[in-house]
Amino acid sequence: MIDPSVIRPEIAVNDFLPIFVSSALVLVFGGVYVGIYTAVKVKLLKPWAMVVAYSFWALTAYCLYLMGSLIHVGDFTAKALVVAAIGLFLLPFAVYYMQHQVHEENEH
Amino acid sequence: MANNHLTSESKQLATWYFTFAAILFGAQLLFGLVAAIQYVMPGFLYGILDFSIARILHINALVVWMVFAMFGAVYWLLPDETGIETIGIKIGKLLFWIFAAAIVVVVLVYLFIQVGPADETTIWFITEGREYIEAPRWADWGIVVVALGFVANLFLTGIKGRQTGIVTVLMADMIAFAGLYLAGMFFTDNISIDQYWWWWVIHLWVEATWEVYVGAIAAYGLITMIGAHRKVVEMWLWIEVAMLFGSGILGLGHHYFWIGTPEYWWEIGALFSALEPLPLVAMFIHVLYDWGKTQGAEMANEHTDEDNVKSVINNKPAFTWFVLNAFGNFLGAGIWGFFHTLPQVNLYTHGTQFTSAHGHLAFFGAYATILIGMMYIAVQGTNGIKVMKHTKASIWAVSMITGGVVGMTVALTIAGYVQVLVSRAQMGATWAAYFDGQSGLWFTQAMDWRLVMGVVTFTGFIFLAKDLLTTGKNPVHER
Repeated sequence: MIDPSVIRPEIAVNDFLPIFVSSALVLVFGGVYVGIYTAVKVKLLKPWAMVVAYSFWALTAYCLYLMGSLIHVGDFTAKALVVAAIGLFLLPFAVYYMQHQVHEENEH
Repeated sequence: MANNHLTSESKQLATWYFTFAAILFGAQLLFGLVAAIQYVMPGFLYGILDFSIARILHINALVVWMVFAMFGAVYWLLPDETGIETIGIKIGKLLFWIFAAAIVVVVLVYLFIQVGPADETTIWFITEGREYIEAPRWADWGIVVVALGFVANLFLTGIKGRQTGIVTVLMADMIAFAGLYLAGMFFTDNISIDQYWWWWVIHLWVEATWEVYVGAIAAYGLITMIGAHRKVVEMWLWIEVAMLFGSGILGLGHHYFWIGTPEYWWEIGALFSALEPLPLVAMFIHVLYDWGKTQGAEMANEHTDEDNVKSVINNKPAFTWFVLNAFGNFLGAGIWGFFHTLPQVNLYTHGTQFTSAHGHLAFFGAYATILIGMMYIAVQGTNGIKVMKHTKASIWAVSMITGGVVGMTVALTIAGYVQVLVSRAQMGATWAAYFDGQSGLWFTQAMDWRLVMGVVTFTGFIFLAKDLLTTGKNPVHER
């Protein structure tokens, strides 16, 4: 069954700009979150900066929510976007873990 | 191109590939400029060079110069990685000349024949008409022969020589790269089926095999330029291969929204394509961390005089292009891709200048940057330079090309936004809506700015060509 919101999403004309900006900011804020997280873990930044990192993840999740609301996503896409937000939250943990393991094996 | 500093015939062949790639890069920009002028002044070169032909030359030259540079980069790194001369190098050289001659003939046919009858002769001798891979069928088969010869050289050398992670990844990747081209070579009467297979070439090239290729080249470049730890870089390369193929293959769905394919592709494609740039950014963060923490500290210890601290980067122009690759990939493929990739939004953005904006920044950021970087590595090796520094021309080149492409991207994004609002949302994608959107003030001004930024990019290319030709003899470098 085709998701009705895809066939006729009924996006208001004034909503297009916020949609494009919020969807761009998903990756911008997501990148900042991953960057600060990594910098804190490798001690390039003080531990308190991790709060800033998580704040950027919160902004990322908000932008995803805003974008999803404005384009009136259906149930499946809404669930997929929630999974994407959680996935982005977990990404730096997984990346850092792999990084740490690789360094340990190579005496870094 | 023969030079005493070249240590193998494979590297000599690589310089041939890089030289021809640079010429085609110039042609790509030149015909892009012609097409951009025709957008602003439709009568420009009327009756001499049609917009459709300028566009064909612009986008096909893009693909072909990158393929040439990619082959060149592999021939350059093979002796370093495997420890032996490339096997079948004579055949490799012969295939280079066949490939280059075929491209020249195809371009001349595009320029002087341009349009043919609506039958098989056009498909065989003028153009197949499939965007990005519009070469006529005889050239298609030629490309297959050349690609198979290249893959054979790579495999024979990789099997006989030292099998590093980089070479192993390249062997697997290049067989997929060559094999996928076959999906764009057969003809069907059904446009949906035709497009379905055509995307296998275009998408699975640029967002799977080419991205993996970039990962391998980045790994080689970082080992070469900053002495990154091979085991670490190669381990990351394998992780990237998993992430890139995991996201890139399924990202195919974002091309299957409106061509008659099942709807399950929509959600899959949107999600996975957004993840595609993350592995490369992760790699650069990791390796730069290595560089800063370990080698940077070592160098600092060796040179206590702060004014005389040596950089661990032995090729600054190449390194600049490699760093641009990480950011350009994230911006062009990631951000500019994601904001129009969900099907609900893509219903409005599909086929507008948004796609063009994304294409310009993604091709530049993800591929052009790193291939230009490899050209600088080849110039360094060809001229026996120990530490290669920036020249004025290299700084102008990197600034103007990057600034020009970013400027074109912004201009095209504005033009695409006008099309979304006027041609799609307000007027419902009708025939009249298309022309209303095209004639709006914001759209026409955006296209003017695209042309201005195209001129900036082309000027930057002239600086780049000058630098690549002359920097080898520049006394500013350490030898």
